[in-house]
Amino acid sequence: MSRSDTMMADGHGAGFFVRLRSDWLSGDRSRLARLLIGVLVLVTAIMFCASIMTGAADASLSNVMRGVLGLNDIEQVLSVRDRIIILDIRLPRAVLGLMVGASLAVSGVVMQGLFRNPLADPGLVGVSSGASLGAVLMIVLGSSVFGPLFAVFGFYTLPVAAFFGGLATTLLLYRIATRSGQTSVATMLLAGIALGALAGAVTGVLIFVADDKQLRDLTFWGLGSLAGANWTKIVAAGPIILLSLAVVPFLARGLNALTLGEAAAFHMGIPVQRVKNIAIVSVAAATGASVAVSGGIGFVGIVVPHVLRLVIGPDHRYLLPASALLGGTLLIFADMIARTIVPPAELPIGIITAFAGAPFFLWILLRGRSHMDL
Amino acid sequence: MISASNLSVRLSDKPVLHGVSVEARAGELTAIVGPNGSGKTTTLKAIAGEVAYDGTVRINGHDIAALKPWELALKRAVLPQSTVISFPFTVREIVRMGLSIGGTAGAAQTDRIAQEALEAVDLTGFSGRFYQELSGGEQQRVQMARVLCQIWEPVTSGEPSFLLLDEPVSSLDIRHQLTIMRLARDFCSRGGGVIAIMHDLNLTAMFADRMIMMKTGRVHAAGSPQEVMTDEIMEAVFGCAMRVNVTPHGTVPFVLPHTAAH
Repeated sequence: MSRSDTMMADGHGAGFFVRLRSDWLSGDRSRLARLLIGVLVLVTAIMFCASIMTGAADASLSNVMRGVLGLNDIEQVLSVRDRIIILDIRLPRAVLGLMVGASLAVSGVVMQGLFRNPLADPGLVGVSSGASLGAVLMIVLGSSVFGPLFAVFGFYTLPVAAFFGGLATTLLLYRIATRSGQTSVATMLLAGIALGALAGAVTGVLIFVADDKQLRDLTFWGLGSLAGANWTKIVAAGPIILLSLAVVPFLARGLNALTLGEAAAFHMGIPVQRVKNIAIVSVAAATGASVAVSGGIGFVGIVVPHVLRLVIGPDHRYLLPASALLGGTLLIFADMIARTIVPPAELPIGIITAFAGAPFFLWILLRGRSHMDL
Repeated sequence: MISASNLSVRLSDKPVLHGVSVEARAGELTAIVGPNGSGKTTTLKAIAGEVAYDGTVRINGHDIAALKPWELALKRAVLPQSTVISFPFTVREIVRMGLSIGGTAGAAQTDRIAQEALEAVDLTGFSGRFYQELSGGEQQRVQMARVLCQIWEPVTSGEPSFLLLDEPVSSLDIRHQLTIMRLARDFCSRGGGVIAIMHDLNLTAMFADRMIMMKTGRVHAAGSPQEVMTDEIMEAVFGCAMRVNVTPHGTVPFVLPHTAAH
């Protein structure tokens, strides 16, 4: 009996791979996608724990887990110093990394779906610059011009300002690049460069007129890293990021249909204008909130979706959650490199993502030149 | 029945259609023909609800302006002229996109429908191929399969459904032109309705019940192929004198470009 059980188990194991293979041959990648999402959940959890354990001060995994989960009396297991390091420095940093990474990757997916092109990315087409401008505007002119806003939004002011900066840029870009339902890739990329440059120039003027205190705020904010992670930032940006991440799964079918063109999506029963509006607002919100707490971190939004499309295909029902997980994991990983590669100093994480992402982007360009209408 | 009455459309401030009226009955294949730029595609786009128009379009008595996109999608499906996709979808994934719209059927049934739709357009075994790597004609047939999936039943709860096809055979070889036209015919004989924009007049005459001949944004002539394909109408619409003939043992008219007089 035990033998037949074993055989059955083997049969199941082999059967699964046989099925994956026949799925692949018949063009069905949904089982593979679900498997990958499961694996990514596991990898993300491991990466999250690794990130909390890595750093100058050592603390064992079991102690950390017990401390974090509150199983033991935390004061017995961890020294005060370790507790501060883990709960107030590493944990918020990992949480922020996860949220920012997920929102960058998901913004990339949604933007690419919206523009029907794998090269659209909030960082490349000026949306991040627009969001930065919103944030800088708030830091420099905040107290004098927008004083009342601070009273209303409190520490949400910066993410909200970045959101409006990102929203304005996205809307403008969409208006410029899309005519009667067709998006011109060349126009989109070039207009993105122009808008980014314009936002950069205005940002430059603002920095020029900023006083000493504002300059210090700007420098801290603009480091483009997770170095300043703390619970306040998480409370400020978290709800916006989580809300936009919660909304986008409802766009999945609409984004799938949109890849066939706006007219075809409408023919298939998709309320196209509504999908587009929600997509634009979510991208602006997720990008704005990320930029507000971590500055500009590039290429996550283009590399992550592209790699995943090669494996599980472009179906947004799977691509969106998988991108969120892989984006979060990769950013936590990049952050671990950033803070351990040149101790005791830290490399801004944007440098690491650019080193990995820029060559990758060039590779996509060269590979897809023939059929991406460039 | 689809009845479009008095349609006028302006595209970027240029009038394209001037009071076009078109009727397409269930059980019939209605073909729209005419020279380039005569407003065939614009007429179809107005009927599909895709461009703004003056006039009314009704499907089975419902004014389409009052229908939500998803309600409309259950009454008619639209095949565009050509579809460029910049993401690596497989044929199976594209075809099933049509399915996910009506989606009340179970998994086994949707699998069967997707499979049969591919068979119907002679693409059995293509489901694992990447759309971007197919030829233009194969891509057109994949889109046709997707459209079929969206409106699989020609008649749903007593109401006929419609296929709106914009040049469904434009990139196909002669064998697959016949495949697709027979498919459309079969859809009609099972109670549905088809409106197709066509360029090949002979193919149209073979398969269409009604022909609508357009010229400069107006309906020039409408009726059976025998009524519409006459020497006089050919010359008036296309501006070249041609002799219309009739097949030896039938009543199907045909025209050869060889007969054009200059």
